[in-house]
Amino acid sequence: MRLGKVIGRVTLSQAIPSFEGGRWLVVNPYTGDRYQNGTTPPDGLSAEPSLVVFDALGGDVGQTIGFIEGREAATPFPEPTPVDAICAALVDTVYHDPMK
Amino acid sequence: MRLARVEGNVVATRKHPSLEGWRLMVCQPINLEGEDDGTPIIAIDPHGAGMHQRVIVSSDGLAARRMVGDNRSPVRMMITGIVDKTEEDAA
Repeated sequence: MRLGKVIGRVTLSQAIPSFEGGRWLVVNPYTGDRYQNGTTPPDGLSAEPSLVVFDALGGDVGQTIGFIEGREAATPFPEPTPVDAICAALVDTVYHDPMK
Repeated sequence: MRLARVEGNVVATRKHPSLEGWRLMVCQPINLEGEDDGTPIIAIDPHGAGMHQRVIVSSDGLAARRMVGDNRSPVRMMITGIVDKTEEDAA
């Protein structure tokens, strides 16, 4: 799982059947140098490419979420679904203390 | 698996039910010299790793699903070991 800030949402008009009723967030992942510490997300965007994440927890724009990438992102679905990033947590607080 | 250093933890009340009760640790992947090497990973921690301790993080979802006991869980990253010592090969 990685953390990122929700910077937008996507609504699909045409999609494969198993995407029916899905909710899609555009997320910008945090990098080590610009990480959240406390309850407020860092402002601005990180150098990491943003990605679209399937969301069933109700994440909102400006919120920090934990998302999981890879094949494991599709495990909660009843039938095989080509989702490779899923929101697994709506983050309240992060304690980050790098050993710089 | 990745060598990483524990650099924090995450509190999230609203999350996938299978993650309930698990410590979510911020693990910064590092190389053998200890320099940062990639974006931080959030991994579940069954071993109680402490802050700034070096750990091994596995991305094998199957083992993580078995650990949380939920076959439909998207959990993937898991701390599988706490590093005692690393030797640098002379090569």
